[in-house]
Amino acid sequence: MFKRSVTALALITLSLAGSALAAPKKVTGYGSLGIVDGKAGGTYTLALGDSPQSLNYYGVIDSNLGLVAQQMFDGLMEFNLSTYKLEPALAESVAVSSDGKTYTFKLRKDVKWSDGQAFNADDVMYTYENLIMNPEARAGDPGNFKLDGKPVEMKKVDAYTVQFVLPRAAPAFLLQQRYFIMPQHKFGNAKGAAVNNVWPSNTAPADIVGTGPFKLASYTAGQKVALTKNANYWKVDANGTKLPYLNAVEYLIIRDPQAQVAQFLAGNVDQLNITGAQFPDLKQKEVSGAAFKVFRSTALFGSPPFVAYNFDAKDATLAKLFSDVRFRRAMQGALNRERIIDTVYNGLASLPGHGVAPVNKDWYANTKPQLGNFNIAAVGTALNALGIRDTNGDGIRNLSGGKNLEFDLTYGTDSSVYPAIAAIIQSDFAKAGVKVNLKGILSSKLLSTGQSGDWEMILHAFGDQPDPELRKPIWQPGGALYYWHRTLQPAVDGGTPNLAKMAAWEKEIYAIFNDAATTTSRSTRKALYTRWQLIFAQNLPVTPLAKPENIGAVSNKYGNYIYNLGVIPGYNPVPLIFQK
Amino acid sequence: MLTYTLRRLLGMIPTILIISVVCFAVIKLQPGNFTDQYLEDPRFTRATADAIRRQLGLDQPAAVQYLRWLWGVVSRFDFGYSFFQNRPVTSVIGELLGWTVLISGLTLLVSWLVAVPLGIYTAFNRNGLGAQIANFFGYIGLAVPDFLASLLLVAFVLSLGGTNVGGILSSKYIDAPWSWPKVLDLLNHLWIPVIAIGLEGVAGLMRQMRASMLDVLTQDYVRTAKAKGLTQQKVIWRHAVRNAINPMISLAGLSLPALISGTIVASIVLNLPTIGPMLYTSLLNKDQYMALTLLMMSAVLLLLGNLLSDLLLAWSDPRVRYS
Amino acid sequence: MTAVSAPAGVARVPSPLALAWRRYRKSRLGVVGGWMLLILYLVTLFSPFLAPYSVTTQHEAFSYQAPQAVHMVHKGKLSRPFVYGVKQGRDPVTFARTNVIDRENPVYISLFVRGEPYRMLGIPATVHLFGVPEGQFFFPLGTDLLGRDLLSRMLVGGQVSLTVGVLGVVISFGIGIVMGGLSGYYGGRTDDIIQRVVEVLLSFPRLPILLAISVLVPARWPSTWVYAGIVAVLAMIGWASVARVVRGQVLAARQLEYVAAAQALGVRDLRVILRHVIPNLSSFLIVSATLALPGYIIGESTLSFLGVGIKEPMTSWGLLLKEANNFETLAGRPWLLAPGLLIFLSVLAFNFFGDALRDAADTQSR
Repeated sequence: MFKRSVTALALITLSLAGSALAAPKKVTGYGSLGIVDGKAGGTYTLALGDSPQSLNYYGVIDSNLGLVAQQMFDGLMEFNLSTYKLEPALAESVAVSSDGKTYTFKLRKDVKWSDGQAFNADDVMYTYENLIMNPEARAGDPGNFKLDGKPVEMKKVDAYTVQFVLPRAAPAFLLQQRYFIMPQHKFGNAKGAAVNNVWPSNTAPADIVGTGPFKLASYTAGQKVALTKNANYWKVDANGTKLPYLNAVEYLIIRDPQAQVAQFLAGNVDQLNITGAQFPDLKQKEVSGAAFKVFRSTALFGSPPFVAYNFDAKDATLAKLFSDVRFRRAMQGALNRERIIDTVYNGLASLPGHGVAPVNKDWYANTKPQLGNFNIAAVGTALNALGIRDTNGDGIRNLSGGKNLEFDLTYGTDSSVYPAIAAIIQSDFAKAGVKVNLKGILSSKLLSTGQSGDWEMILHAFGDQPDPELRKPIWQPGGALYYWHRTLQPAVDGGTPNLAKMAAWEKEIYAIFNDAATTTSRSTRKALYTRWQLIFAQNLPVTPLAKPENIGAVSNKYGNYIYNLGVIPGYNPVPLIFQK
Repeated sequence: MLTYTLRRLLGMIPTILIISVVCFAVIKLQPGNFTDQYLEDPRFTRATADAIRRQLGLDQPAAVQYLRWLWGVVSRFDFGYSFFQNRPVTSVIGELLGWTVLISGLTLLVSWLVAVPLGIYTAFNRNGLGAQIANFFGYIGLAVPDFLASLLLVAFVLSLGGTNVGGILSSKYIDAPWSWPKVLDLLNHLWIPVIAIGLEGVAGLMRQMRASMLDVLTQDYVRTAKAKGLTQQKVIWRHAVRNAINPMISLAGLSLPALISGTIVASIVLNLPTIGPMLYTSLLNKDQYMALTLLMMSAVLLLLGNLLSDLLLAWSDPRVRYS
Repeated sequence: MTAVSAPAGVARVPSPLALAWRRYRKSRLGVVGGWMLLILYLVTLFSPFLAPYSVTTQHEAFSYQAPQAVHMVHKGKLSRPFVYGVKQGRDPVTFARTNVIDRENPVYISLFVRGEPYRMLGIPATVHLFGVPEGQFFFPLGTDLLGRDLLSRMLVGGQVSLTVGVLGVVISFGIGIVMGGLSGYYGGRTDDIIQRVVEVLLSFPRLPILLAISVLVPARWPSTWVYAGIVAVLAMIGWASVARVVRGQVLAARQLEYVAAAQALGVRDLRVILRHVIPNLSSFLIVSATLALPGYIIGESTLSFLGVGIKEPMTSWGLLLKEANNFETLAGRPWLLAPGLLIFLSVLAFNFFGDALRDAADTQSR
């Protein structure tokens, strides 16, 4: 067991750099990303997968709304576009007390809402108290404001200062403060469940007020969401020119990925994120002179697929086998990662990390040696050693009771990658004498199926985040999304997981996440998360398959393009884009 | 006639009730919850799920949910809330209804305008070259699934360098006021869905028309008319066509629900702002009142269509009388 | 119903069936359609033998391999049919797959070669109609992403696509005939209830309800059950219209003298219906069944397109076409559209055949 060694908190006051008082934030230092000074004007058209279901970011969990909201609202903090380090945004500076419990945010004084009203601490207080911490808000996040069952206290110090007091130190707290701040004067002080009904999708555009680079111009259901430049935006470029450069950002609502490609090829959409499967076709068009460029980017975000075995499978023999680390490690040898990367991703993917993207320099520990090699013969030897042999000569290995070693692989059918990966796994496992039956379901039902426990092996993916703390519900045993060992989950949300049922390595990971969540020392956290990744790689709660590259295609008309995965609050390169 | 209509309308009520119960049961029987789609979001917790279920009344027994909806419909014409959009179902449908009716209506109209004359033509010139060609295109329409037809049409337009590859308006016209260029732009986009959706219908209608025309042509009164020495033209138009079109009227009534469900697949591929895809997503995500309302709309349209076609038939065909 | 009341006992008048057959043979398209159907079904029946490979075998080195042309002339000399081997690479810039054809070493095709074992009609066998020596590969219609032979997948996929309709029609017509018959024969309350059900079923919007029910099919079902489920769903909605027509015909037939006579003789109800009424309906039923079949084929492909149809490792034309339904396919690998061609041909054949049957069964319009 890893010891709870870090109890004394380092006594430092952390003050993140803020620019001069009451001045717009200057966006500089992105030369390495190819950012140059742009010129004002132009319209940039993007594709949106469906109509936003509401215009209230806290009223509904909807990625399409998130994409639009990202251009209309800001949080207290944001990411640096090239280093993914946190920077103050609507906050001008933040001070953290030496015990790591008190966070004091000084707000920018020069910020105005897009309707000209002044932005101040009341908006922040309202947003946190009635939207983010509100358990009735459908897209709030109250879970992050209770630590060990005790609430985070929040208070307004003065008109431009707010303070959070935590019951204990939580180093990832600052990372979470990228929540979009909403205008109190437009929400009319709605409280409780009533906040969900504010700003439905047919609200007049003028009433949707934000601090972001753009504001709503029009919303046509099923067709288009149009945004125009917010003249009150609070960022400038290196020369002091007001951002954003663009006059307008438009989202065409296009459901079908094929239709999105068609609209991009026809020049109606200016930028599109594509998959490795589509890369060669578009790149060929680029090479032969089409008016767009296709960019590869090993960005940090993105969802690497994995396979998991159900430790609590309904079939007791299978459950016992799946809980055995020797089995999971043996079967890793039958996962042909090279072929998956080459065939499914057209070579545009790399070997995966364990819970942390390899490109994430801050936290990634090299676990490549633990990935092993594709070797069917070695799988056979390992399974033989477990006593799983083909006793009746039908080509399928038999379990102790004489039953065939046969199980279901649940995967999403409506995906460009899952069906092919599933078919590859089925074929390779068969070579090792393990029979896999494919069970296709709609991708949108994968997680609920996983959490229902009604599966044996599953092919799924979770998104990577800059800090492992943000993925704690997935990777900490007993977490809400740790569904491959569901019996560990606590009876009530936020309760203590079932420690008695944890394997030794799960207990260790459990302790690591708890320690890391309360340690303010970065080096201690790094050591803890490194240890976690190694335990992960050795014990394989899930077996990661590959880390796909992010690929974006953008029309040649635009400059300063930076790959942008989708809804990552606090990561918004669009204000820098300009029309040549 | 009026009493007949009233009686038919009253008779629909039990049918509609049964259909609504069955539809609701089918929606409810699907595994999973409305909240399942949110599980992947880090903000979503079990407590949130419970709160949402409570807010939406999903913690009540299914029968209560159904009866509440029904009571809302009957007492104040309230078709419930769309869980997705968090506003009344009717207002969500209302936004898309115009385009849906325009696209499906136009498609129906065009396919009838093409199919009926072609049917008559092929009935008279059964072995002529023109009839063979018309039949051949009809068969193609029947044999190409509409998603493939849509994709091929889009690829064709793309290869010609066109930009009207989906949607019904160019981006700049979507939120612009109506003007001539906007109408032209609309027409420039509309022909693709009209062909992709309509092609299948044309073939079927054409064959029906041909068959019923052939039926009529062998009837005694047409022979009599010919014997009386009426010109071929008069025989065709005054007697044969008028009678042959009657079975088509019944068919027309049956095609009314296509206004809603006829465009599901093509709307996804061609990106049309119609109700079709919303029906699809609401069914998959258990947005129950939305799905139920749309299914009911479709059923009511069918029943009304049947009634309308019966009435039309009585009006156009002197032999049919309802008492 | 004029054929029934034709005066009996007149010698040397061909039977109605023979007349119909004669008329059918006159329709050129109908005959072509009939032959096409016969060939399609025979090919499907023997597909494991005709297919060079198993539907699930993945040839790793041949992802998206283009169809290989069969040659007869090697280096200017006539030889037996052969293909050239292919080696795949990847373009360093576009990451597109490249094929390098090896024109030095011909790979000869032979008939009745031993290959992967399979079962056909329950009999295990290893002989395939054609093939190339072991270690060499021949993909007449190319391969898919995973290197599975498209020709084999299409042939075997036909087993699903071509039987979905037949089974569906059998079920829906079976239910429809019985229900419609009961309804028309008994009248009264039975009629009322059945007609109400029919009305309800006819009022269901087809595709949405199909969608709703397909989502209901549990994901854990083996693919053969899913297949059966889809057929059942398609058929459950289809029977209503049949029942309505049958009822009308039965109502009319009930007035006929011979049915009344049969009843007077004490023949049991159901037998009366089955023995006397159904045969009169047969021409109508055959024709409408033939014309309903293409709808099932298209329906299966639409369900597969929406992701709620046939699932791997089973295969069907609809599923194969769904995989091909994108711009990359149109631009770079058009051979994957071949299943669409089969859907097209089979629907065409059914229509030709059905139209000809209808014309043949129609005794009046001559």
